[in-house]
Amino acid sequence: METLKYFLPQVWFGILALFLFLYVMLDGFDLGVGILSLTSSNEERRSILMTSLSNIWDANETWLVLMGGSLFGAFPLAYATILNALYIPVCVMLFGLIFRAVAFEFREQANRKFFWNVAFGAGSFLAALGQGFALGAVLAGIKVDEVGHFVGTTWDWLSWQSVVTALTLIQGYVLIGSTYLIWKTEGEVQTTHYKTAKIAAWTTLLGAIFITITTPIFYESARTRLFQQPLVYIFGIIPVLGILLISQLLTSLGRRQERAPFVWTILIFVLTFIGLALVVFPYIIPPQITIYEAAADPSALVFMLIFVGFLIPVMLFYNIYQYVVFRGKVTADGHYGD
Amino acid sequence: MEFLSDTVALSRMQFALTAIFHMLWPVLSTGMAIYLVIVEGLWLRTRNSDYYYHARFWSKLYVLNFGIGVATGIPMEFQFGTNWAPFSEAVGNFFGSIMGFEATWAFMLEAASLGIMVFGWERVNPIIHYISTILVAFGANASTFWILTASSWMQTPAGGELVNGKFVINDYFQAIFNPFMRNSVLHMFFGTLETSLFVIGGISAWYILNNRHHAFFSKALKIVLAAAIAVAPLQIYIGHLSAEQVYKLQPSKLAAMEAQWNTIPAGQSADWSILAWPNDKAEKNDWEIAIPNGLGYILELKKNLSEPVQGLKEWKPEDRPHLLPLIYYSFRIMVGIGFFLAGLMLWSLLQWLRGKLSPEDITQQRWLMRAWIFAAPLGYIAVDSGWIVRCVGRQPWTVYKQIRTVDSASNLPPSNVLTTLIIFTGTYILLLFAALYFGSRIIRRGPNLDLPIPGIETKPAINTTPGEFVRDERPVEAKQ
Repeated sequence: METLKYFLPQVWFGILALFLFLYVMLDGFDLGVGILSLTSSNEERRSILMTSLSNIWDANETWLVLMGGSLFGAFPLAYATILNALYIPVCVMLFGLIFRAVAFEFREQANRKFFWNVAFGAGSFLAALGQGFALGAVLAGIKVDEVGHFVGTTWDWLSWQSVVTALTLIQGYVLIGSTYLIWKTEGEVQTTHYKTAKIAAWTTLLGAIFITITTPIFYESARTRLFQQPLVYIFGIIPVLGILLISQLLTSLGRRQERAPFVWTILIFVLTFIGLALVVFPYIIPPQITIYEAAADPSALVFMLIFVGFLIPVMLFYNIYQYVVFRGKVTADGHYGD
Repeated sequence: MEFLSDTVALSRMQFALTAIFHMLWPVLSTGMAIYLVIVEGLWLRTRNSDYYYHARFWSKLYVLNFGIGVATGIPMEFQFGTNWAPFSEAVGNFFGSIMGFEATWAFMLEAASLGIMVFGWERVNPIIHYISTILVAFGANASTFWILTASSWMQTPAGGELVNGKFVINDYFQAIFNPFMRNSVLHMFFGTLETSLFVIGGISAWYILNNRHHAFFSKALKIVLAAAIAVAPLQIYIGHLSAEQVYKLQPSKLAAMEAQWNTIPAGQSADWSILAWPNDKAEKNDWEIAIPNGLGYILELKKNLSEPVQGLKEWKPEDRPHLLPLIYYSFRIMVGIGFFLAGLMLWSLLQWLRGKLSPEDITQQRWLMRAWIFAAPLGYIAVDSGWIVRCVGRQPWTVYKQIRTVDSASNLPPSNVLTTLIIFTGTYILLLFAALYFGSRIIRRGPNLDLPIPGIETKPAINTTPGEFVRDERPVEAKQ
């Protein structure tokens, strides 16, 4: 039983990390494309951007629902405390997602598209902003009492660190959105997004460097962990690898490669994610509550594992199959279907 | 305006508002998904192009619905954490797991398959497309199953006990198959199906009444009618079984539904009030119109009750549901609509048997078609009313007799909740109007009967391009 209490929360931490990563990557390029649509010069371009997402955005967004549901089931304390503490950023994200989602259907039908264009772009931006603030606030730590209940105030989530994190996340989304568009489009639209990808690559790099340097300086808990053996080597390697990947990305953008930039960006996301997971682990409500304290009963974790576990490969297969079915470039007249 | 500074009241209002609005969309997408499976199946079987165009036309409305359903559904899931953190923490072991299953089994499956169902007609072969349509329907209905399981567990918690403010589950299957579960799932399943059938029927009736594609839409109407013959009476029967369960397991809700203040002892007969005005303060009904001995017949099909019906006075004021007129009239509206829809089904069936619904004669059935158009929104009202009875009637508990609503709410500044409540209200009203506007637009445009049919290539009459040599790769037998 004791090993189960140790082992099961780790399994679920891993599963949640997978869900969160898939969400950040997949809805990340969705939201990035949404933010980029604000810069589109005409309706035709905006149509291309939205068509490139029309068949996948809801499947992508589902990973968020999946993550929320699994966090609720596996770590109820973390679900309750974090969402309670982040009331405002979470609501900002929700309103953003609402407008982003309905814009797909309504814009398609509308004669006057302006309102829904703004809803799509601004909704994507708000969703990314809310997520960035939430991430920044969790990394900066949430004030809880000894049993893990939130004891802070409404505006605790707002700090200069969370502002930097939010801006960096938005830039990251713009970057992966740009490289996705490079892959899915051609001609003028593609040319534009080679430029936006390049700008976003630099700004994301700046944000990442800033966060990497400031985290150990300002957070004592992170500092003590980071400078312990053997983690210190891993934390030494991550920035080096990061810079290597960014230079590869910039090179591939310079060479006008079509798929490589997207792949390099995904690898950068993977690396960042591993870095963040290592900083946080084993805490799920930093800096105080660990995954073992916040986990549901072992029986609940096993029960969920049985019902959810075997579906993960099925879902992954079905999602990949979708991308295969809708492979190829999106064109201006280009609805995929009707 | 005391409630403006009461976080619990504001959070309740926000949850009620988001739930009532959200419900409008999945109700249609869940039931309509089954209809789409039927018409696509008919197309694959008969290769009659009408069925193909039906599948294409109705799936447009489906997608519109689904998109808004997703948009309004995500806030529901997150509200458990933002506004009901103590509740989430206390019941996370079970309730959270079920939310996780809903996300994986139901929502994920539906969303992932939808892309191919909507945009994949020309990209995948008809069988794979049909499998996607079936998966969409399966996912949507699995959603009903898990959500209603979770909700039923809140009504009749089973499989564990409350230990130090945390619900510990001993037996998960007992918790899933809690006393309310089966009837609740079925009642909602038939609710979504019936609502969708009458929406599809109502829209078809509108075309028929306006003499647009009337032969085409009379087909839809007949599919709907054939299904409604089973669904409408079954729904009344399942509804009755549910009410019986409420009588046995949630007596305080039953007392609220019937505005029954005083306990009726076993062995006595009881009147059933059709209309009344329950008065919370005076602890009696201000006025009442009742059917003599009605309640005995409704609950047990006989005049005298074999078990007592407890009255509201049995409970201390803080232990009984409030907002009695809301519960009382919501229940009556739901039941009334159930019977109206069954009656409309019978009337239409009669006309069908008399041969009046043939494509030539159906346009003459003007009053029948008007009744169908009138019936189109009724299912929604019935479903929302039913949920009001179910959830407001459960008060003052979030988990019946275990966890109180006041102890379930997050400690948030009222101003925060008030702000989000106002934004939610504005946003959802806007969404409702936009959905009605754009939905009616799809309907006014009508079906596109010029779409190429997959599997049938359209070739120009004279082939002007030089042919290319294609090696014959058929098996030897086929070459003969």
